[in-house]
Amino acid sequence: MFKKYFTVVLLSTLTISCEKEIELPLDANQSILVIDGSITDEAGPYSIRLSQSIPITEVASFPGITNAVVIVKDNTGMVDTLQHEKLGNYKTKKIKGVYGNTYFLEVLFDGKKYTAQSTMPQKVGLDSLRINPFRVNGETRYTVIPVYTDPVVLGNSYRFIQKINDTLDQNFHVFNDNLNNGKVNQRPIRGGTDSLEVKLNDLIDIEMQCITRPTYLYYYTINQQAGAGPGGGTTPSNPPSNIIGGALGLFSAHTVERKKIIIQ
Amino acid sequence: MKFRKLGFAFICVFALLQTLYLSGQSTFILNGNVKDKQTGESMIRAAIRIDELPSLGVLSNEYGFYAIALPRGKYTLRVTQLGYEKYVQKIQLDSNLSWPIYLSNVNTLQEVVVESGRKNDNLSKPQMGTETLNMNAVSKLPVIFGEKDILKTLQLLPGVKSAGEGNSGFYVRGGGADQNLILLDEAPVYNASHLLGFFSTFNSDAIKDATLIKGNGPAQYGGRLSSVLDVKMKEGNNQSLNVNGGLGLISSRLSVEGPIQKDKSSFILSGRRTYADIFLRASEEFKDNILYFYDLNMKANYKIDEKNKIFISGYFGKDELGLGDAFGIDWGNKTGTFRWNRIVSNRLFLNSSIIYSDYNYNVKLKNGLTDFNVNSNIKDLNAKQDYTFYLNPKNTLRFGLNSILHTITPSTFSGTVINSTLKTGRNGLENALYISNYYKKNDNLSLDYGLRLSAYSLMGGDPYNVYKDDVLVNTFRLDKGSFGKTYLNPEPRITANYRFTDQTSFKAGYARNIQHLHLLSNSTASSPSDQWIGNSYNIKPEISDQLSLGYVQGWQNNRFELSAEVYYKNLQNQLDYKDGAEINTLADVESALLFGKGRAYGLELLWKKKEGILTGWVSYTLSKTERQIVGINQNNWYNAKQDRTHDLSVVGVYTINSRWSISSIFVYNTGDAVTFPTGKYFLQGQTVYQYASRNANRMPDNHRMDISVTYDKKSNKRTQSSWNFSLYNVYGRENAYQINFKDDPNDLSRTQIIQTSLFRWVPSVTYQFKF
Repeated sequence: MFKKYFTVVLLSTLTISCEKEIELPLDANQSILVIDGSITDEAGPYSIRLSQSIPITEVASFPGITNAVVIVKDNTGMVDTLQHEKLGNYKTKKIKGVYGNTYFLEVLFDGKKYTAQSTMPQKVGLDSLRINPFRVNGETRYTVIPVYTDPVVLGNSYRFIQKINDTLDQNFHVFNDNLNNGKVNQRPIRGGTDSLEVKLNDLIDIEMQCITRPTYLYYYTINQQAGAGPGGGTTPSNPPSNIIGGALGLFSAHTVERKKIIIQ
Repeated sequence: MKFRKLGFAFICVFALLQTLYLSGQSTFILNGNVKDKQTGESMIRAAIRIDELPSLGVLSNEYGFYAIALPRGKYTLRVTQLGYEKYVQKIQLDSNLSWPIYLSNVNTLQEVVVESGRKNDNLSKPQMGTETLNMNAVSKLPVIFGEKDILKTLQLLPGVKSAGEGNSGFYVRGGGADQNLILLDEAPVYNASHLLGFFSTFNSDAIKDATLIKGNGPAQYGGRLSSVLDVKMKEGNNQSLNVNGGLGLISSRLSVEGPIQKDKSSFILSGRRTYADIFLRASEEFKDNILYFYDLNMKANYKIDEKNKIFISGYFGKDELGLGDAFGIDWGNKTGTFRWNRIVSNRLFLNSSIIYSDYNYNVKLKNGLTDFNVNSNIKDLNAKQDYTFYLNPKNTLRFGLNSILHTITPSTFSGTVINSTLKTGRNGLENALYISNYYKKNDNLSLDYGLRLSAYSLMGGDPYNVYKDDVLVNTFRLDKGSFGKTYLNPEPRITANYRFTDQTSFKAGYARNIQHLHLLSNSTASSPSDQWIGNSYNIKPEISDQLSLGYVQGWQNNRFELSAEVYYKNLQNQLDYKDGAEINTLADVESALLFGKGRAYGLELLWKKKEGILTGWVSYTLSKTERQIVGINQNNWYNAKQDRTHDLSVVGVYTINSRWSISSIFVYNTGDAVTFPTGKYFLQGQTVYQYASRNANRMPDNHRMDISVTYDKKSNKRTQSSWNFSLYNVYGRENAYQINFKDDPNDLSRTQIIQTSLFRWVPSVTYQFKF
């Protein structure tokens, strides 16, 4: 977290770094099944997307897997066999997302079975969004603070999806309560990139999700992967997935709440 | 018990020495201090020889003291030290004699950067993997931003690798950056870098001597696995007042040294500060960027009488970095050393030290009305007794004890919107007892062997959790000041040298090193947020066993020298983290640790030309370093990040005349071992990368050439000045500092591989003066 700031201040000050696109000899990739599935507290149907990983050098089309058997069960005994809709998207028919319920995913593909489970956390309400202006080098910048009160019990995790004027902010924003357990959140969603900066009169759309600890760890690990080399961050690895059987991706049961604000 | 036996062994050795001592009574002792005639600085490693007894010979110790036992007679005393005029003196020895030696500095043209006390010194001493830097010559080598730096010069030697371009961090023989013991006047320096590693904490104006020992340290050193870098500050001129300094583009330095009472006491005060921030403030774009460091070295000494001398030295350094009041980080080291040199008897030299060392970092984050602070701190209080006993002409004993009380406070958080952490830190007591003997059988064979017994006792403070297979199984709560588990480890060490001819010798050595403090870092570059942790119930002392063999060959009266060493190192109890561990905010970081082992081996070649108008060296290292940690890389061996197959440095200093000299450096090394993604997939609207084996890929090869020209202007005896012009990265090679994978902004379905490089053609000018 600090390290990123640190490098930015240092490099921007020295203004001597230069960037260019290069080619590298990369190892051959093993194509692996990718599962991207969510059950939320919103009304169904929910979707599970199946695809496969491709080599880095290929143009991303991420072909969907259309011939798998996908089943979602819950701890009340409900069994839902999903229907393939299109491009690898499978839709639920009857299962309902409820706080505290545990959901079990089963995917049968190419003779192998993959399983995962996730328990939907209790909902923590998003009370409001607060604009947080700050001045750096003569200009005002903005971030948005999601205002919510973290429950007294330790171990809550959150994810925020930020859209700036309907454009998705390509960052996984995840918070936990390691430091501010039981407090009103004051941490802003830092985000955007140079090309996607929050400016005056922008419309900011925030989706707050209460997520499980494994889901937090998954996104947090992806965020830690900050380049290779002496100036890089942590040695990257595949994020720890809750899917058993060797697939990539995530199966997450979480809550959803959205709010909008105009920067002014 | 094993340890009782060890204690018994110690007693036996002492008893044996006692008998040897008594049998050696028929000789007389010649002893004294070796000093620089002009400045009064004591001379380290001056070679003292007796013409009539060519097989005898001693080196002055770190404080300039020497002692030699001789039968009654007339002798010719010959003392040599590189850069000094030869000293020859006839003496008559009828009783014990105290004989001070003053050496005159010759303003020699041919200074070599890496020296050995005598021309063929490397051939006769058993010490292996040891390099000493000559500070005068370091200043002639080109260096980035014109800021001469011993740590960067060390990286040009075999077996020493840079932690990154322009970085003062270094890796020795496959060890991590935290496995180097860096001592400044005996005080450990926990973070020897400024500004993310681009500068070291050593202000070269205040440094007298720097020695690096690559894993075969004598028994008086301990606490780190890979190396010892022993840096000694100047004592201060006790003859006349001197001011010297340097003006550079990035920083400036000023030192004042002089006598307090002539011949009796002196001081040195040296400061350095960077001033890039002053220029930044003037620019609209960067006016809120804060970026600077400063450091201050101080030392004073007082000669009580001919047998007692005391020294006080201190270092204070700080870095500040920030962005307006939104973000700020500062960190710094403080060290203080009090020493008392005592000639107890004409054979026994004692140095007693009390040392204080403190490293801390603070991070401040501010968002509107809310504050968030992180602090971390490590404090040492250290007492040492170090004896040198000149038993007889063939044996010099070194023994002593060392006790360090560590207070380690990991990241603690405070602020208006968070729960302040309740961590108070932990104490640990590190004790060591050591004895070694330098035995010179004859002119051909010499040995240095010894044993260090190190102990680390867990002490009270924050509770110690015990984990087994990721499950918390026990918690020990120790009161402040009370003791828990003690780890006790013997560290045997031996080095031997056999000289076949005047120009050829063989060396062999074995050493075990133990490390009780561990650096937790999840970044590849040195970051101030890296934190130290002591042994605990989960974390055991790190162990290294190194076996090395060496061969030294000289030519043309040793004007040329080739040394070759091979080593194999086995590492135990190495640490790493689980994937995704939040090491700074976890309630107990120990729950996220993984343990394993390591191995490193290599060949190091160093070819030196020590005299002539062209001096310099070529150094080459072929090496491999790997780790195997349960829970990483499917438990298979993988390359450590510092694994680099080839590492080559070529250094040349060409002296045109007494005023002009040109020097140049060329370096080439295999890129670091890194993990590149092999594939990608799409998840939640974003591209995510897929990884295979850890550190199985390589950064592109690094190479570059630097050049510098030095002009020395000696207007008269008292004032001197010099200009140094240097160009870093002469041919503008874009070395990869970082490689990132990202979506092409113009075509999101394509992945771009972006290389960031630093430092193409960095020119610098430094003006150095002395009056």
